[in-house]
Amino acid sequence: MAVQDFTTRTAGSGSGSGSGSGEERTTPGALPRRVRTGHRLRALEPLLWLGPALVLILAVVIWPVVEMVRTSLMDISSTGLTRGFAGGANYADLFAEPDLPGVVLRTLVWVVGVVTVTLTVSLALAQLLNSRFPGRRMVRWALIVPWAASVLMTALTWRWMLNNFYGVVNRVLMDVGILDKPVNWLAHPAQAFAWMMAVAVFVSLPFTAFVILSGLGTIPAEVYEAARLDGAGTARTYLSVTLPLLRPSLLVAAIINVINVFNSFPVIWAMTRGGPGFATDTTTTYMYKLAFDNQAVGESAAMAVVNFALILLVVLVYLRVVRGREETG
Amino acid sequence: MSAVTARSTTAPSATVRRRRPLRLRTVLLTAVGWLTALIFLAPYLQMLLTALKPTPELMKSPPSYLPSQWEWSNFADVWSLKDPPVPDALLFSLYVAGMSTLLALAVGLPAAYYTARHRFRGRGAFLLLVLVTQMFAPTALLVGIYREMVSLDLTDTAEGLILVNAAFNLPFCIWILNAYFASIPKELEEAAFMDGAGRLGAMVRVTLPLALPGVVTALVYTFIGAWNEYVVALTITSSGDRTTLTKAIPGFVTAYQEQWQYLFATSLIAIVPVVVLFIFVERYLISGLTAGGIK
Amino acid sequence: MKRHLIGIAAGVTLALVLSGCGKGGSSGDSDSDGKTIRFVAAKYDDDTQPYWDKLIKTFEAENPGYQVELEVVDWEQLDSKVKTYIQTGQQPDVLNYNKFSDFARDDLIYQAKDVVSPKVLDDFLPLFADQAQYEGVQYGLPFISSARLFFYNKDIFDKAKISKPPSSWAEVEDAAEKVKKAGDIPLGLPLGAEEAQAEFYIWAMNNGGGWTDKSGKWTVDQQANVETLDFLRKLTKAGLTQPNPEATNRKDVFNQFAQGKIGMINGAVFMRKGFIDTVDKNLNYGVAPLPSKDGTTHNTLGVQDYLVAFKKDEGKNREAVNKFLDFFYQKENASKFLSTEGFLSVTKSAGDALSSDASYYKPFVDALSGARFAPTDNPNWSAVEGAVKQRIGTAVSSAEPEKVLGEIQETAEKDG
Repeated sequence: MAVQDFTTRTAGSGSGSGSGSGEERTTPGALPRRVRTGHRLRALEPLLWLGPALVLILAVVIWPVVEMVRTSLMDISSTGLTRGFAGGANYADLFAEPDLPGVVLRTLVWVVGVVTVTLTVSLALAQLLNSRFPGRRMVRWALIVPWAASVLMTALTWRWMLNNFYGVVNRVLMDVGILDKPVNWLAHPAQAFAWMMAVAVFVSLPFTAFVILSGLGTIPAEVYEAARLDGAGTARTYLSVTLPLLRPSLLVAAIINVINVFNSFPVIWAMTRGGPGFATDTTTTYMYKLAFDNQAVGESAAMAVVNFALILLVVLVYLRVVRGREETG
Repeated sequence: MSAVTARSTTAPSATVRRRRPLRLRTVLLTAVGWLTALIFLAPYLQMLLTALKPTPELMKSPPSYLPSQWEWSNFADVWSLKDPPVPDALLFSLYVAGMSTLLALAVGLPAAYYTARHRFRGRGAFLLLVLVTQMFAPTALLVGIYREMVSLDLTDTAEGLILVNAAFNLPFCIWILNAYFASIPKELEEAAFMDGAGRLGAMVRVTLPLALPGVVTALVYTFIGAWNEYVVALTITSSGDRTTLTKAIPGFVTAYQEQWQYLFATSLIAIVPVVVLFIFVERYLISGLTAGGIK
Repeated sequence: MKRHLIGIAAGVTLALVLSGCGKGGSSGDSDSDGKTIRFVAAKYDDDTQPYWDKLIKTFEAENPGYQVELEVVDWEQLDSKVKTYIQTGQQPDVLNYNKFSDFARDDLIYQAKDVVSPKVLDDFLPLFADQAQYEGVQYGLPFISSARLFFYNKDIFDKAKISKPPSSWAEVEDAAEKVKKAGDIPLGLPLGAEEAQAEFYIWAMNNGGGWTDKSGKWTVDQQANVETLDFLRKLTKAGLTQPNPEATNRKDVFNQFAQGKIGMINGAVFMRKGFIDTVDKNLNYGVAPLPSKDGTTHNTLGVQDYLVAFKKDEGKNREAVNKFLDFFYQKENASKFLSTEGFLSVTKSAGDALSSDASYYKPFVDALSGARFAPTDNPNWSAVEGAVKQRIGTAVSSAEPEKVLGEIQETAEKDG
């Protein structure tokens, strides 16, 4: 299983830059493992350590998941009352929805688009925050605000700012002379979707930028020194030294973002509610609308299951990439 | 490379070199930096300005940039409302987020430590479980969560919320802490153990402090997650005195009445504690996330 | 050393167990005595919670031993909450909602006669009681009602030199052209998801269209409805509405009307309290009947919300529910709610008790007598309503009216 090496395989890049107060260092990449003789691990010991976590995860996360899968196989009336077993009927209904292909496609665009842009911008942001300039701390603090604010609030604010009548975005654009009359930004599906992707990027940037920023912090100065001695320019140094060394951070940022962006509900819900029609829905908001607008609770659960299948697929791809890295690296 | 080093390297890489002549670069960086800050703060600035507008001005078209009259009383109004009771909601949110964080750490630390230090049967499976459960968002699981809370008789309690928040953030905690512990050389702990500290003492006195940035990261992540959690609070709590801030906020805008100034004022009240928390721990956070990066 | 390890693990487990043992809400044990009931109320505005708090306090004082646990939920979140409750068997005893028939179909709620006294039952205005029936039996308890009329801004009309509010569609179009020339937004047309079904129905019913025929069969795709959408589409394309009706919610145009930016609009009775008074108490507006195609008969849209009482514990909760509902429907209590929230009465007694502001409310009350209602007595209405909210707006922008109505008709004919 690829996950086994989840942790212990530490990237072997940053050795020798230790400047702390007399810590010993292991050889990079070595497994810090020396099973003490006299202490056979009792079979039950792991349970003591992992037990509480397992209980919490199984009881609070897995139980509802099972429940959801069960619901997707049930015939549920519009009031929410369970009327019996439905077999695959909910899935059949779901796949017969004319809007589904568009929704899935849009979800794909949404995830790939938002994550790619987030990562790219975060690389630049991290570079900026890693440089020294007056007020850097302040800028870092400013960057945290979108993370600290709940996504729902941020999305509501953006909807407010983009409003056709009283939105400040139109006001600014008209005052600078770019527009001569207000644009109803969130009314046209393509335009609205682009704005929502922008907002999704906006709220994902802080976390991502900080992950990459801390990744930058682990790259020892010596590496850059060496690159400089080799006569590499700034751009080349970045591409051939910095970026490869950032790969582990990027992978973490990517996977967390994929999961979050995929599940992101508040941005779309607060800004367009997936409308007009289903023209700006992703699978997550569509799932919600199936249950509460179409009154099809079972079908909605089926959508949720399909949603998980999709995201699981993405994570499997991720694991492959990670394993690929470990084999080549 | 261990996180141990990470804490100290940020500064040197830039300072060691003496590049005085590059004044222009600093000026540019500063300009770009401050502009970035402004962009990130802009929506919240707009929030503040809207929260300070008098009611008739809120939806004026075209909008005014600044309030014609600064209605600081909006904040006072919000603070003294009976429905929702904002100060109570603030305390309740703090309690839930705080306890969720504690629980997630209390449960996550041993698990992460053990998986990082020992090889055992089922370790891979456990880590896979952790990774997979990270993918579940409560939005899709509401009915299941609610049914479970009914079975445990935890509907409409802080404890129910705490359990859910802790559990859904636990995978990330374990993930990040595990990576962090793994990056701390075991020899350090061994040495302390030899000195007679005892296994646990060694862990608490040596490993834990070194892992502090990782702990802080897990802490911040869980706290922010729990602080901003909305759908579960909406579903499983019902009494007025068990209302979280996030649950209270959308109530200002209903089909029959819109009070955006209150909504934004309360939102700002909700943001402040997290930003303050962050400012205190920012230094640790950056090196903490590194461990995740190592993985 | 082992002991320490065990200690940590045990401690953590203990913490877990302890936190798991916190005493839950009283939902569990309250049912047993049948004297404590749960009431989920919809939040209309800020005054809703204080109203119920006070009412319940009085009720509990007058009926020692009885208790009402109140939960006030915003409309936006009520649907999801109600479904979750029912799906998990945790329905409240009394619910304030805008639908009832699918509860009746699924045999979840009491008949009206089982939970209110004959006196209260008699007091409901027949107009509303009729709309609360499922298969000929009254289940829903009419709670509040609202009616729509045509609001117009007198200042804008003066500026555009329009002497009287339009009565026919042709006059609407004509007036709109004039307002547009004068530089204001002519007509507010909210076909966004929030309340699209109401806005569409208002226009459709005044063209002889609607949701069902006399026998109750769905006729969403009838010609009169297509014509209605064609007309609205024409207005939209000619720029006689606010931009993008398909993405505009009711609240937005109500607000802009209150700001004096919109010339005319189909407004609701709560416009004044919820929107106009908060922005501009001196707004110079008039209220007229809703324009119809030919300008002769004018129908209005009636909307009512209900109280429903859920069956629980083999009827053990019935007595307490009955007491509470009878208490609420007392003249002074029911009329207090209406005047607090700015709605119209559904009972004779409360209607009589409401005299304040008669001049504002009178036209609405008068219009109500001929009001048409959405087919809330049909259990499939919830799904149809959802489909209408999602789709109808697209018929004035991108999609063809026939196609949109056809899709909704299909939804309607599916079994709920």
